[in-house]
Amino acid sequence: MVELLLDPNIRLWVFLPIVIITFLVGIVRHYVSIILSSQKKIELIQVQDSQVMIRARLLRENGKYLPRQSFAMRRHWFNNEETGYFKVQKRAATSQNPMTDPGMMTDMLKGNVTNVLPMIVIGGWINWMFSGFLTTKVPFPLTLRFKPMLQRGVELTHLDASWVSSASWYFLNVFGLRTIYALVLGENNAADQSKIMQEQMSGAAMAMPPDPKAAFKAEWEALEITEHKWALANVEADLLTTEK
Amino acid sequence: MSYNYEELSFDEARDLLRQWRESNERRSEEVVELWLTILSDGLDKIGNEKHVLLEQVIFAALDCHCYSVANNCIAILSNEFPGSLRVKRYQAARLEAEEKYTEAVMLLDKIVRADETNSAVYKRMIAIRKARGEIKQAIEDLVDYLKKFISDVEAWQELCELYLQMQDYSRAAYCAEELILHQPHNHLMHQRLADIRYTMGGIENMELAKSYYCQALKLNPDNMRALLGLFLTTNNLLNHYKSSGNSSKRKEVWKLCQWAQSQATKRQQAARAAPAAPGLSQMMLALAITE
Repeated sequence: MVELLLDPNIRLWVFLPIVIITFLVGIVRHYVSIILSSQKKIELIQVQDSQVMIRARLLRENGKYLPRQSFAMRRHWFNNEETGYFKVQKRAATSQNPMTDPGMMTDMLKGNVTNVLPMIVIGGWINWMFSGFLTTKVPFPLTLRFKPMLQRGVELTHLDASWVSSASWYFLNVFGLRTIYALVLGENNAADQSKIMQEQMSGAAMAMPPDPKAAFKAEWEALEITEHKWALANVEADLLTTEK
Repeated sequence: MSYNYEELSFDEARDLLRQWRESNERRSEEVVELWLTILSDGLDKIGNEKHVLLEQVIFAALDCHCYSVANNCIAILSNEFPGSLRVKRYQAARLEAEEKYTEAVMLLDKIVRADETNSAVYKRMIAIRKARGEIKQAIEDLVDYLKKFISDVEAWQELCELYLQMQDYSRAAYCAEELILHQPHNHLMHQRLADIRYTMGGIENMELAKSYYCQALKLNPDNMRALLGLFLTTNNLLNHYKSSGNSSKRKEVWKLCQWAQSQATKRQQAARAAPAAPGLSQMMLALAITE
């Protein structure tokens, strides 16, 4: 089988430009997202709710270190039918539909503007500008399954699967430059995609559970069935036996 | 650990400040000295760290009452971030340090109105009340604050201390219990609650004090205060049981009392026998210039 030879001009005018373009776009995106980012405003009531939840959880876990009376007093404060915190506090269920919340909308729009839009525009432009080139070859044989991944835009059935087309080279760069960004922009940069995905996940976990009403009810139940077991009941005997 | 500050290079001084910042060491005088002698000339060389470092210097300068230094730093920051709430907080801190409390409170009020979840600002306002000696007011404000930030350990601790100042022991005990809820493995928390219970007096409280002293000793056998507290508590209980004639309980407490006493004497003897002098003389020897 005859080895394919690539024109050195392809290296100069296709291979390297794609790397540079994706890299620069990532940098620009980092700074644009810094400009567009808005600090999330936290509501006082949200803080209060999450703090109450923490205290209720601590009471369940560490209540055994308190005398029975003190434990009962605190549980009463949370769970009493008429005056208990979980019963009295009426929180409106937060709207599940993000479309109704204008703040959420702008956030989503900003996310789209900085992430999806450049992907589409630059990707489309690269596809149009550098279409049909083979740019490089991976130095190991690959099976046919890899052809659609590595040879997007070059539909040749008999071509060896280890050749990489220009469009695929672009995608490889988009996902592979993360460490370079970390090197250039520091750890917490907004240039790469996976970071943003993570942020969305952890952001949801950090704020209060979306519906405080349900969370209160769950905590109320958990607290209701917690049994008080005085942890210091045998502490004197323990001390005498262990510390002889 | 001592440094000859004049001989440090710029980078070393910066690293030292960073180290103190990260380990929360106060060292205000040293910070101000380093700032004045080395760092203040090359502020632009510091880069990203500049603003955190300025914050550190501001608080250090306020500690040492170097208002001019603090003013300079605040001016730099407020030029860079006009209208920033954090910078406003520094200004409030300066007013506070100069004991211009009314103005400080006004400024803090403004910050709270802009951002009502800023817990540090609420705490500062309460601290001002305390500094002015308005303990009752401080307690009221602190209770209000705790309604919003109910799992703030520091605030509970402060409230506990304020109640102790007012000699409101049952409420102080409540706060101490709250501290145990948050940090059940800290022996000092148990010891504190036991102290309060012992001070309150009465059989039930004594029993509780006994349990908590034991727990404190279990968590940290070296807690001398808890050991002596346990001894006092058990003595107290012994007197009571002697008169009420509860023999089984009396026996238990007697054992505990004996144990506490023997432990305490053991510790004392150990401390007396501990060779404090040789260590010192050896150090002196090391210092001496030997021919």
